[in-house]
Amino acid sequence: MMTRCVWGVLALLCATPLWADDTLDRGVGSEWSSLDPQINFDAAAAWIQSDAYEGLVTFDGAGKVIPGAAASWDMSADGLTFTFHLRDGLKWSNGDPLVGQDFVNGIYRTLDPATASEKGYYFTSTIQVKGAAAISDGTVKDIATLGVTAPDAKTVVFQLLTPAPFMLQLMGSFQVAPLHKPSFDQYGPGVFIDPAHVVSNGAYIIKEVVPQSHVLLERNPEYWDAANVKIPFVKYLVTEDVATELKRYQAGEIDITYDIPLNQIESLKASIQDEVKISPSTEVIYYSFNLQNEALKNIDLRRALSLAIDRDTLETKIIKGEGIATYSYAGGFDPDYHGPQIAEATMTQGEREALAKELYAKAGYGPDKPLTLNLVTTVAEDSKRRAQGVALMWKKVLGVQTEVNPMERKAWLDAFYAYTWDVFADDLVGDFAGPETFLSYQRPSAEPGYNWVSPEYDAAMDVAAAIPDPKARYEALAKAEKILLDAYIFAPIEIAPTRHLVKPGVHGWLPSAAGYNNSQFLTLD
Amino acid sequence: MLRFVGKRIWSGVLTLAVLVTLTFFVMRLAPGGPFSRSRKMSAEMLEHIKAAFHLDEPVWMQFGRYVWGLAHLDFGPSTRFRDYSVGDLIAAGLPYSLTIGFWAVVVASLVGIALGLAGALRRNTATDYVAGVVGVVGIAVPIFVIGPLAQVVFALKLNWLPVGGAQAGWRSLVLPVLVLSLPNIAYISRLTRGSVIEVMRENYVRTARAKGIGARRTLMVHVLKGALLPVVAYLGPATAGIITGSILIETVFAVPGIGRHFVDAALNRDYPLVMGITLLYGGVLIVFNILTDLARGWLDPRVRHG
Repeated sequence: MMTRCVWGVLALLCATPLWADDTLDRGVGSEWSSLDPQINFDAAAAWIQSDAYEGLVTFDGAGKVIPGAAASWDMSADGLTFTFHLRDGLKWSNGDPLVGQDFVNGIYRTLDPATASEKGYYFTSTIQVKGAAAISDGTVKDIATLGVTAPDAKTVVFQLLTPAPFMLQLMGSFQVAPLHKPSFDQYGPGVFIDPAHVVSNGAYIIKEVVPQSHVLLERNPEYWDAANVKIPFVKYLVTEDVATELKRYQAGEIDITYDIPLNQIESLKASIQDEVKISPSTEVIYYSFNLQNEALKNIDLRRALSLAIDRDTLETKIIKGEGIATYSYAGGFDPDYHGPQIAEATMTQGEREALAKELYAKAGYGPDKPLTLNLVTTVAEDSKRRAQGVALMWKKVLGVQTEVNPMERKAWLDAFYAYTWDVFADDLVGDFAGPETFLSYQRPSAEPGYNWVSPEYDAAMDVAAAIPDPKARYEALAKAEKILLDAYIFAPIEIAPTRHLVKPGVHGWLPSAAGYNNSQFLTLD
Repeated sequence: MLRFVGKRIWSGVLTLAVLVTLTFFVMRLAPGGPFSRSRKMSAEMLEHIKAAFHLDEPVWMQFGRYVWGLAHLDFGPSTRFRDYSVGDLIAAGLPYSLTIGFWAVVVASLVGIALGLAGALRRNTATDYVAGVVGVVGIAVPIFVIGPLAQVVFALKLNWLPVGGAQAGWRSLVLPVLVLSLPNIAYISRLTRGSVIEVMRENYVRTARAKGIGARRTLMVHVLKGALLPVVAYLGPATAGIITGSILIETVFAVPGIGRHFVDAALNRDYPLVMGITLLYGGVLIVFNILTDLARGWLDPRVRHG
């Protein structure tokens, strides 16, 4: 370690400026957690991974599914079998042929308990692949029992336990990156950060990795569509402090930022409006009510609390983070899904507040007997502003005494199951930009922590889950969401946005809810 | 002297052992664990992941395993940065922190002592007031104000230096070094000024003058040697803190050092990384305290023979 330290110091002192115009500099926030495609579980690393690896499908600039390593696919009539047909002549970055089995190996490694990956649930729960649960439990080791197979070099077949018409959304490189077994077997998991030995199949290859500083990618000449990859180098730069990142952007060190400081959004929109790119993400923020709390077992009270929140004022005057006020839970991500909103969404805020007061009184509360609540949230700036805003509205409209309790993120997660809260500032990031990932999560079996008992909702979700036809399935899901919203077990508040600054010289940047913005679809002046 | 050093090293090792033990157990009192990140993961899967990192074992067994690893110079794997061991992360970040810290100490000592001397020798003149103002500003204005201000002036307005990162070689180091040295310049100059004024009143200085030794020689040999005692006492622990990375500096200037791990590792409940960083900081602090004692012994016979 000492020798490496000395070399590190020398290298640092001798380093020369490396500003090159053929490099796209992208901010990745605080730091990627891992470049191991089967382990990485964060959004920042997902960008790097989407550039370096390609799944069976990929996502265009706007996040729409397009063919990736697979040129085409078909679904059986019962919706239980998906067959992917790989392109001709696919190669790994070292020239080895890329075959169907490489994808099977990647999925097997994700599920293998020895990998200790957090992503196994994509195959055991989000989509239910035959045999996946047993492998992930550690009860079965045989790869032949997995319902993902490669009958020949150019075919990958998925066998599912229940139909999943949204499955293509999960066939990108984040979930199904292929595994180059020879290099992995020889060098172990360290290979993924070792530019000398890492082998990938995406539009870029990993050229340099410096922890907490940057990852440099270079165009992969073996990529099937290399001719259309315009930018020769992409550098992902770590900048933990969002204010520093903004200055690096202004100084020209970064072309695309990871985020924008909340208190700068307004002035930036006034000065460089075209460079401010804010669009909805798949993160929904909602305030869950503790159904073990005697008072909150009363639906009138929960409804009153939800209606007393003036969501538009909250977003535009208090949080000012460009979040989108919402009255539904699973809507707003897929234009094909026409889900319901809470029943009072069409009222004016004045009418909602009047109704809230009525319901509050009906539940037996008033100025003489005010409700007191404990609201648990995270310490993030926008979360605190939101919680304080909501507490203020509850106080103003209903006279509720709310104690806002901001916690560090890990403590906040722990607090959920400890039930030390009456209202929990909850959030959920969808696994893909569609309604099902949200609605499945609210099933009492998926998240027993809400203590919600609703056989109707479970039954409605079961109906939807058995339908392979996307349109009919969405109609069934909308019916289920209606049951969910009518129960007022939470107050939907906001669809969180992604916020980026993009230099005028970068072309092709489009809003993508799922957050896929592959560098291969961008160009640089 | 050897016995003195040996005794100090032995007590340093004991201190480290207590530090390791306390940190290991206290850290686990904080709510949440390394892998409580989202509620989507099933309980079984979480158990598998914990088992892979031996977090399913009783805490005393984990402690035994950790100490056994330490005995083999193995700090364990990081639970947050899955591609790296704690040793890798320290080896990658330490050069940045060391380089910036080393130069900051050099700049702070040279400028601080010079300013302090100038102030003491020309008391209540313009020089003294300027040195005083620098001192007050350096101490009173925090790094998170000076840092961004320096970025705006030198990077955005004048375009001389990069805002942050480590992409521009030595030019990336200039702002972090200057900003990190500023509060230390302030402390050192105030300490030097005060103690030079005090020492100049001492009998032995008057004697030296009376013997006809020149003003320069009196100052350099007799005054300074005595006057630097408090500065050295301050510099020891301060250097340990500075070279192991300043969290504020590294955050404001996006320096890929190890300073940021101090806070982030704890927030991420990255137990092995917290341990590694604590050990490193504890070790460096102990070494510099020993060095400080040695330097004080050399400067002041009373310490040596006391």
